[in-house]
Amino acid sequence: MAQTEHYILNMGPQHPSTHGVLRVKVELDGERIVHCTPVMGYLHRGIEKLMESRTYTQCVPFTDRLDYVSSMNNNWAFCGAVEKLAGIEVPERAEYIRVICAELNRIASHQVFIGSLLIDLGAATGMIYAFRDREKVLDLFNIICGARMTCHYIRIGGVIKDAQDEFLKETQKFVDYVPQMLQEYDNLFTGNEIFMERLKGTSIITKEDALRFNMSGPNIRASGHEYDIRKIDSYGVYDRFDFQVPTGTKGDNWDRYRIRFEEIRESARIIQQALDSIPAGPYMAKVPKVLKPAKGDVYHRVENTRGELGFYIVSDGTTKPYRVHIHRPSFINLQALDTMCKGLLLADAVAAYATVDPLMGEVDC
Amino acid sequence: MHNGILYLVTQDIREALLPIAGSEIIVNLTIMALGIALMFGLVTGSALIFTLLERKVCAFIQVRIGPNRVGPGGTLQSLADMLKLMSKEDIVPQGIDMWLWVLSPALIFVPSALIYAMFPFDDGVIFADVNIGLFLILAITSQSVLPFLMGGYASNSKYAMIGGMRTVAQMLAYEVPMVFALMGVVMLTGSLKMSAIVEAQTDVWFVVLQPLAFLIFMVAALVESNRPPFNIVEGESEIIAGPFTEYTGMRWALFFLAEFANLLSISIMTTTLFLGGWHGPEFLPGMVWFAIKVMIMVLVYQWIGWTFPRLRIDHMLTFGWKVLLPIALVNVLLTGIGIYVFNWL
Amino acid sequence: MWGKGLIEGMRVTWKHFWGKKETVYYPEEKLPMTERFRGGHLVLDEKKCIGCKLCAMGCPNAAIEVTVEVDENKKRHPVKYVHDLGRCLYCDLCIEACPSKCISWDKNYEAASYFKEDMKYDAVAECRGREKQ
Repeated sequence: MAQTEHYILNMGPQHPSTHGVLRVKVELDGERIVHCTPVMGYLHRGIEKLMESRTYTQCVPFTDRLDYVSSMNNNWAFCGAVEKLAGIEVPERAEYIRVICAELNRIASHQVFIGSLLIDLGAATGMIYAFRDREKVLDLFNIICGARMTCHYIRIGGVIKDAQDEFLKETQKFVDYVPQMLQEYDNLFTGNEIFMERLKGTSIITKEDALRFNMSGPNIRASGHEYDIRKIDSYGVYDRFDFQVPTGTKGDNWDRYRIRFEEIRESARIIQQALDSIPAGPYMAKVPKVLKPAKGDVYHRVENTRGELGFYIVSDGTTKPYRVHIHRPSFINLQALDTMCKGLLLADAVAAYATVDPLMGEVDC
Repeated sequence: MHNGILYLVTQDIREALLPIAGSEIIVNLTIMALGIALMFGLVTGSALIFTLLERKVCAFIQVRIGPNRVGPGGTLQSLADMLKLMSKEDIVPQGIDMWLWVLSPALIFVPSALIYAMFPFDDGVIFADVNIGLFLILAITSQSVLPFLMGGYASNSKYAMIGGMRTVAQMLAYEVPMVFALMGVVMLTGSLKMSAIVEAQTDVWFVVLQPLAFLIFMVAALVESNRPPFNIVEGESEIIAGPFTEYTGMRWALFFLAEFANLLSISIMTTTLFLGGWHGPEFLPGMVWFAIKVMIMVLVYQWIGWTFPRLRIDHMLTFGWKVLLPIALVNVLLTGIGIYVFNWL
Repeated sequence: MWGKGLIEGMRVTWKHFWGKKETVYYPEEKLPMTERFRGGHLVLDEKKCIGCKLCAMGCPNAAIEVTVEVDENKKRHPVKYVHDLGRCLYCDLCIEACPSKCISWDKNYEAASYFKEDMKYDAVAECRGREKQ
């Protein structure tokens, strides 16, 4: 009698489409997925622990290394938490520059998302186009802070260097380029029937499931839950800008892709508004050289490109944090992988990793 | 019929050799051996050139420059790659089925090279102008599924196994629509002989008479030769490299060479069956026209490959069985009616 | 209609096939680095350095090791200023911490080396080497 049995396929930590060092144990029945278990920890560097032995100022560059494609947002999350803890008022201009940088970073990060999704679907050309345009954002960062990915630009009390006119002018140029860029993506792959068929209706995660998994960011918005920290718990000067939060309906791969696509558009709108209304003035608050926040704890969250990034900091009144805990969106979103991939084909699992958009630097922390 | 350049050259050689060798048989054998050597040179040489071409085309499409270091403008890049592959360590994984594993890369090259015998390169320049030429080509190409499966099965790797299984499903699914699409051509010609098929396109190319068959053939040919967007056998983002996952060095290079030889052969087939083979305006010899058409087809196939994302296996099989096969059958029917109406007129 | 998107995509790639290329021939052609670029070796101005070691203290990863000598005028001078590129985060905190503004980046981004030991260098020695030239 013929007998069939499931077999386990180890995808990763060295696999072309695991976005870093994610390892997924996939239990397969033929090509159908029965179970998939993400195994994490291959990139664990103990950043939370490292921060305990560094002063608050010294902690900031470590946040760059969490989610290394959206370092501006990470800087902001940590600095925002420390500012809350120490009661530092951030100057107006700095807030605007922060918004510009964070939104530029969101665009860059979503371009990485689009690029890696496309390469996972086997369309290398689209990936190159997405990365080519991301390069423009990275060049902007290079102008303003001298680094392309690990920016370390947003600091406690403001931003470290003023935004030059050159930066603002180049940013304006980029914002003007965004619609044209998105049109090209639309022509090349959003309208592509093969691409649509690959994504539509696969790896569905319902709103209930998404809430149950405590997902956040574009992934939960794709399931139809309007949850954006910029709107519900506005930080910085986001309440002054007019922007929409795109939401999906089904929560499939296609929705997750479309939402990020639309978010690029919205980010460009926010940047445009910020550029139009950026005030003059100081860019850094008076922050004592030796920062000693009072005893206490604080939780500050921002809308990272991947979801709700929160920093929980406990201060014992010294120059170093007593304990730092990082609420990492990628880590939490990744837990839904099993629910998403059940019963799908191996090729869909690859697309699902890509649309969940985990970043191993953040997952393993 | 026998008036092509190559034929005349062959005659010259024959005349030069006859006094030296003395016997007709030896001369024939020598010429045969020369021809085979030429053929293999063409196949491997084209594979080398196409590696570079593929990389350049892909780079240009992706707004990059592409290989530009080795030789003038990077023209010797594929030679350098070849040398690198030869100098690589030959890793034999544990727990493999040694015989199958070793044979697989060797066998994969056989069908790819063998079908070149049936291709008419110019008027009269054809190795084996057998009366079942097209049938023989299809029969030989369908053999290429076996080495893939062998390699996948023997490698003792799950990725390779999945890749091997995918090959079988994919090749079987697209063999049928391809054959039915070519049926239209055969019906128009009334012969399976390759030279007769080209001969029949003197006035009008079959791409005009058989546009549906042309499209179906293009898709099926892409699938048969594992070109993107149908390269699910390799599916580098899912199953690493499919059946070739465990191969290194020259063994892997043979798979690679076969892939490019297949690219050339599908381009030649498209040209021969639909684009009029060596036919073209008088000012250039037939061989050149043939080469130009083949080159354009190669570029078109690469252009398609570098634009689209890869299909998923179930979509692909559905497309093959439920879309292409019915269309191909309808095409056969239409061709039959067309021929009937044409004769009646 | 099914297939319209495919044609549209092929049009885009066709256009780019003939279009301008975005990459450059790297070692021959180098992109200019910005004014604020962080990277490369630290350029130390030995005369200006007051040997306060604030840079070493400000470094989050302990990449800088400064040895200071006090001369007869009770003035502090750096004798050795070892910067370990392998540990460096390029976070700019050392340069920001410097009270006399005596360090800066040389903006050379080609810092790869074959051996781990080559990642360490002495900025004082480099400074003296520059002066000799």
